[in-house]
Amino acid sequence: MMSDNEKACCGGPGYASPAEAMKAPREKLLYTVALYTGTGIEKPDYLATVDVDPDSPTYSSVIHRCETPNIGDELHHSGWNACSSCHGDDSKSRRYIILPGVRTSNLNIYDTADAKNPVLHKVISGEEIKEKTNLSAPHTVHCLGADIIISMLGDADGNAPGGFLHINEDFEIVGRWENDITGMNYNYDFWYQPRHNMMVSSEWAAPNTFMPGFDLDDVGAGKYGQSIHFWDFEGKKIVKSIDMGAEGMIPLEVRGLHNPESNEGLFAATLSSNVFRWWKTDDGDFEIEKVIDIPTIDVEGFPVPMPSLITDILISMDDKYLYFANWLHGDLRQYDISDIKNPKMTGQVWLGGLLGKAPEVNGVAVQGAPQMIQLSLDGKRLFVTTSLFSTWDNQFYPDMKDKGGQMYIVNCDTENGGMSIEPNFVVDFGKEPNGPSRCHEMRYPGGDVTSDIWM
Amino acid sequence: MAEDVPATYRVTLRNRGDAVIEVGADEPIYDAALAAGYQLPIACAYGGCITCAARMIAGKVRQPKGTALNRRQSQAGYILLCVARPKEDCVIEVGVESHGDLYQNPFAVKRG
Repeated sequence: MMSDNEKACCGGPGYASPAEAMKAPREKLLYTVALYTGTGIEKPDYLATVDVDPDSPTYSSVIHRCETPNIGDELHHSGWNACSSCHGDDSKSRRYIILPGVRTSNLNIYDTADAKNPVLHKVISGEEIKEKTNLSAPHTVHCLGADIIISMLGDADGNAPGGFLHINEDFEIVGRWENDITGMNYNYDFWYQPRHNMMVSSEWAAPNTFMPGFDLDDVGAGKYGQSIHFWDFEGKKIVKSIDMGAEGMIPLEVRGLHNPESNEGLFAATLSSNVFRWWKTDDGDFEIEKVIDIPTIDVEGFPVPMPSLITDILISMDDKYLYFANWLHGDLRQYDISDIKNPKMTGQVWLGGLLGKAPEVNGVAVQGAPQMIQLSLDGKRLFVTTSLFSTWDNQFYPDMKDKGGQMYIVNCDTENGGMSIEPNFVVDFGKEPNGPSRCHEMRYPGGDVTSDIWM
Repeated sequence: MAEDVPATYRVTLRNRGDAVIEVGADEPIYDAALAAGYQLPIACAYGGCITCAARMIAGKVRQPKGTALNRRQSQAGYILLCVARPKEDCVIEVGVESHGDLYQNPFAVKRG
């Protein structure tokens, strides 16, 4: 059942260390979610398998599609049943991928035993989750040994603060994971470092606020998050929250350095468009500091200065480079974080975006801008998709609903720094057989730089 | 006897060939449209996410849990079909093609 990419040195899934993961064979397949929610095509969202093997005749195309049972899920993020956190357990394999529907709260679980042709294995209905846990709007999925934890952004009625759903390896609801949610205003992403008994979580907004679209009046009314939370992972409770004020509005993706001994990482405050470093101090306290600040830009005809909107960030497996996407401005950036307190920009490419710097790339008119990113284990290929969230897409990039999203590869120089768009690869989801769809988060069958955490 | 018969209203889907569906006074318009063979956009099904928004041309509805609409969107005539129940005969424009005035880029509009 194990992916070809994963070495079976210890029987279980994943790799013994980040260094071992970087030596894995090059990825040949990639999964992405593709959405019809908000396009006017009343069909279910689906999991698409994309051929990313340059020696294959079907390179740079969708080679399999598997629909969810219901329309309107809004597939968004995804996660595996098992990762390198159970590398030492030969009873486990990285076989099932969990695809939550943010809008319906359904958890669609796919079996990837046949890596090219995943099939639907089970659905945990949103209604069951709401009934048993009073939670809705599933987002980030992380596994920890046999357990799977999912951040939930709202209660059953779509109000804040949500919490964390705990499911077991048979995909049954255990209940709520956290013992105490005190201090959390909103929920979004989380990352954990088991060797330091810590977890970091971030804040978007209540589903009833963010799902209908982005409204600056809601920001003014305090309906968006601006705090970051540090958890006692074993005790399942928050030990410190930091309100970042105007510099830290809407903290989304949280990443830790991959080195399992590390006690630090980075996250982006999306609306403020700042990157913060987080770390645990020698005496067990938690601190943050701003390390990157992307200025707003005055756009002709736009009365309000436009933030870059850093919507996704990730760290290369060797902890040397940070990558992030500026979804409104339209650029992807690479920073050398060898000195994590002083990131140095080493690469930049433009794809679509509201500044209009790269409206067409590889012969396709880009809808949206760089958004979700996924990096190959060796750090050399950054995969990027252009859709953020159906209602926000329709607000900022209204043509995407009729023309679909796109997927590109950006080649990354891991020696000297630098980025360039791969000229021979583009998957235009505007050409899908059932009509244009939006592509969002991506995963490789053999693990990637946002799935695997080492115990 | 007459009060035992639940009230129904005629809801016209203008951009579905002026199809007329009968909708109970306590029935979400989305459910009645689906039963009549019209698959319209749907997602959260509790009035919180705006995916099912439609534009009212004429008529009145009751939608106590329609939390997803802000004042501007309501004034532009938008309703949420997953929770909207008719109070009288209605004419509506449905689907994503009715969403032209639903969204604004907040950085592109003057505020205040």
